[in-house]
Amino acid sequence: MSAAAEIHPFTSDLTIDELLLLEDVGFEPLELVLGASYFHIGYPSAPYSQNQELVEMSQVMLLARQTAMAEIQNQAHALGADGVVGMRIEIEREGHHAEFSAMGTAVRRRAGDGAKFRDRHGRAFTCDLSGADFWGLVRGGFRPVALVHGVCVYHVAHQGLGAWFKTAQKNCEMPAFSQGLYDARELALSRVQLDAASAGATGGIVGVEVREGHYGWHSHVLEFVAVGSAVSPIEDTTHELHAEARAVLSMRDD
Amino acid sequence: MSQGIQQRPQTQRQALPQHAVERIQRSRNAQGQRFFTSDLSVKEFLLVRESGFECAGLVLGSSFYHVGYQRSDWSQNQEMTVLTQAMYQARELAMARMEEEAHELGSDGVIGVRLHVNRHSWGEDLIEFVAVGTAVYARDGSNWRAPNGMPFTSDLSGQDFWMLLKSGYRPVSLVMGNCVYHVAHQSLRGWFKSVGQNQEMPNFTQALYDARELAMERLQYEAQLDGASGVVGTQIHESSHGWDAHVIEFFAIGTSVLPIAMKEAPPAPVLVMTVNE
Repeated sequence: MSAAAEIHPFTSDLTIDELLLLEDVGFEPLELVLGASYFHIGYPSAPYSQNQELVEMSQVMLLARQTAMAEIQNQAHALGADGVVGMRIEIEREGHHAEFSAMGTAVRRRAGDGAKFRDRHGRAFTCDLSGADFWGLVRGGFRPVALVHGVCVYHVAHQGLGAWFKTAQKNCEMPAFSQGLYDARELALSRVQLDAASAGATGGIVGVEVREGHYGWHSHVLEFVAVGSAVSPIEDTTHELHAEARAVLSMRDD
Repeated sequence: MSQGIQQRPQTQRQALPQHAVERIQRSRNAQGQRFFTSDLSVKEFLLVRESGFECAGLVLGSSFYHVGYQRSDWSQNQEMTVLTQAMYQARELAMARMEEEAHELGSDGVIGVRLHVNRHSWGEDLIEFVAVGTAVYARDGSNWRAPNGMPFTSDLSGQDFWMLLKSGYRPVSLVMGNCVYHVAHQSLRGWFKSVGQNQEMPNFTQALYDARELAMERLQYEAQLDGASGVVGTQIHESSHGWDAHVIEFFAIGTSVLPIAMKEAPPAPVLVMTVNE
């Protein structure tokens, strides 16, 4: 590899095999990038007997994540990076305040043709993929575009006393609860789809996970977050794809 | 035959919440191009594409269920039929809604289905069941749906799905069977007889054995109803779901399969030695 001649010090939280796989698809790590935001998120309240989204809370929870991610974008830009891999966001709550911290490894294309991996505004791509997943994606003919989020904070209605008497000791579905939670998840999922579309991804989203959390709120208030890496197909016809998959038997006992 | 307790409900078509319908509509843009969301990892995603399939979208279904009450006889081994039915019904509802989403997406099937059981602090007898999976469709437009015309369902990972197709089978449906069982308490006399001694506890053995067999038998029965020729990847889970320690649910889940006509012999596996741990 001719690139081996040009070695500069870097920091990263990649493992050795992740590093090798990144190099194999022509990327080099630059630096571990961090971003944080500190938000007041308070205790939401809602009508006791109504299924409804707490729109303002949804917006705050999304904004806080976006702020932390924007900081990562700025750092990546300053480093001249083409993308960030292995990005993750952690939330730590204390009382009314919550800290959102984002972390990932900024990478740059060795051949200098990183522009085709950046998003349509020329910003670095972001994704939560490991080195191995990144290798697989690129060799599979796709490139990551952005780590996308869909957030929905939802208040699930309380059950009235009358309804409680009707269901006591019986097997039955609780339609109000079912609908509330189902709806909240669907809202989070449709927003993650919108987020990917506005980031300019044309392929789809891989590795979507719908997480459920509540940050010391009332027990009927829940946050649903859908997170995934939005991807686009690589149009370059000279791009090297991986070989056909084969069945292997590993000789290790596990 | 004790399988009569829980017939597979004539899978009633489920109505979807409004936001689900909107989301499914938005998974195609104005030009009719698809945009997928999927909970598959990158490796699974690649193997699904290698198998000739494309992701259609993430599908989910949920059911919040109130579990009825049943008194158990302290010294009796017995199935708790009310609880069995509740746990089964709720899962079936969540699954049916997920299938409906897959149907609306125009997909051929759902892979990687996972069933979660959630509890919220809203009430002791309330349990939420969520089914999540990724809907896929064949790139060449061939029909892979189950014999009943609905998308196939399976809990296989992308890797297993690839292997299954390579070896000449196709998934038909996610099948399950469950049994909530009350294991009799030991009487004082029984306790005195066994204290300090090595010996089998026939009562306990028989109860747990019986409960597992019931769950398995129901799973098998479901697969037969769906016209499958076998079940792969069966797992039996055991949980008390916060009930009394002597009340245990055995839950068997697996993917029923049918053979397909093979154009070529399945590939011979290659032996490899991995260097990473």
